[in-house]
Amino acid sequence: MASQELTKNLFSVSSAPLWHCGRTVRSTMLHSLLALLPAAAMAVYRYGYDAITVIAWAGLTAVVTEFLMQKWMEQESTADDFTALFDGVIFAFLLPSTAPFWLIITGSALTIILGRMVFGGFGGSPVCAPAVGWAVMTAAWPEFMDLNAMLLNWDLIEPLSELKYFGVDAVAEITPVSLLLGDNLGTLGASQVGLILLGGLYLLATKQLRWFIPVSFLAGVFLTALIFYMIDPSQYASPVFHLLSGGTMLAAFFLMPYPSASPVWKLPMLLYGLFGGALLIIIRTYGIYPDGACFAVLLINLCTPLIDLIQPKPFGGR
Amino acid sequence: MATLMQEFTKGLWKEIPPFRLVLGLCPTLAVTTNAENGLGMGAAVIFVLALSNVIISLVRNIIPKKVRIVCFIAIAASLVVAVEMLMQAFAFSLYQQLGIFVPLIVVNCIILGRAEAFAGKNPPLASLADGLGMGLGFTISLTFLGAIREIFGAGQLFGVSLFGPNFHPFTFMVQAPGAFVCLGLILAGMNYLTIWQAKRNGVELDPNFDSGCKGCGACKMMDQIAAQKKLERMQPAKS
Repeated sequence: MASQELTKNLFSVSSAPLWHCGRTVRSTMLHSLLALLPAAAMAVYRYGYDAITVIAWAGLTAVVTEFLMQKWMEQESTADDFTALFDGVIFAFLLPSTAPFWLIITGSALTIILGRMVFGGFGGSPVCAPAVGWAVMTAAWPEFMDLNAMLLNWDLIEPLSELKYFGVDAVAEITPVSLLLGDNLGTLGASQVGLILLGGLYLLATKQLRWFIPVSFLAGVFLTALIFYMIDPSQYASPVFHLLSGGTMLAAFFLMPYPSASPVWKLPMLLYGLFGGALLIIIRTYGIYPDGACFAVLLINLCTPLIDLIQPKPFGGR
Repeated sequence: MATLMQEFTKGLWKEIPPFRLVLGLCPTLAVTTNAENGLGMGAAVIFVLALSNVIISLVRNIIPKKVRIVCFIAIAASLVVAVEMLMQAFAFSLYQQLGIFVPLIVVNCIILGRAEAFAGKNPPLASLADGLGMGLGFTISLTFLGAIREIFGAGQLFGVSLFGPNFHPFTFMVQAPGAFVCLGLILAGMNYLTIWQAKRNGVELDPNFDSGCKGCGACKMMDQIAAQKKLERMQPAKS
């Protein structure tokens, strides 16, 4: 009865001459993958065959999991639009290059299942999926995610755990240039800081990404670290060190602007980035884990609905 | 007799406390790091729930309506102290494992919820059946959840190793976040099962079947607030 009345009064809605800008999820994801390519190439150059296997396992598992889950949930299959591949590759970038294959498969599958599919798929998830995968793996198998233990063969040091356990003097000799070039022990892709930055700049230049979140995130990291540094330079590392170490760059350009988990408007985006950066430094300083990038991203992702309440006033509104 | 049986069995599946009513989550999440803890906690809850239901149902006509909550809690508290002392005497290791969560049974939602919703209105025998059923359902849920978390998180079941020494346990499951993830996935599984059953029997399913919106009414309140705000915004424009 009620539905009949409703349908009677429906206005006819015809399609206006709308103009599509040509941007699709697939093209954005392809650009993002292209932006990750130099860092991946550098990782392969540095860690050899291992790096290829890690990225391949993670990417393949992510796509297959997405396909199977969508089959099971009776959704339209979107496993071929590169979002799952992107998540898988980003997850691989957060692993040590010698990670065992079962850890990669479990983590990559959980990235898709717990990070995306339980919320209804890509576009529905309130948190950054690869960061979820990383967090679960870090909680489950800390000994296999520990960079120093996993990369014993390399003669280099991991700057962040060095800072955590041996104080600021231990990292005094690490120059910003060596950090930028990735000449230190680190995760597979996130430690190729310079090339990640290059990829991020490519995304900004091709307008796949707006500058608000990355810039404000880096500013938040810089400012918070600067405050600590000014309080006591002998106890806290310099802001430049924090900017160029660990997962900061990857978080700024690829994790923080995760499509469904970041705010939409300009001021909220700036606040989101600033608070995220501050959280990263706070977690690195007071937390028990050396690198807080993913935890900072996850925490600030949960604040997104709240921050997004700040909306511009409509024209003529009061 | 049939109704007694009904009161008993509804706690086992139809209204199984943590998974259907989503009550009593504090012990459900906190103590289920292994199956044994779940079983012990469940046993304590069965004892308290059944006895408190009977006692409350016996005195339900004497208690004034205004102070009933206090009376319910006093009865539950005395029973919990009894359980605590019994545990200290006969199962001390379990008591140490469960720690603060044994005294916390007093404020468990299920005890108060069943007292308020059932025992305060029904005769003692039915209340006993209800308490036993609900307690058993709670025990089954806790043991199930504890078993899942123990199998994945430690590679054991009731302390018996399952997968051999080469298995690296998925320790995420025995940590706090694992409890939430596990409970969420089980709730999803329950709903999936309900939908699947309805589809197989060809029954049209109420979209709010999981009782999510029945007892809450928050959406309606939000709508009212939004409408009121809209009215307030309109009024100055008119004047």
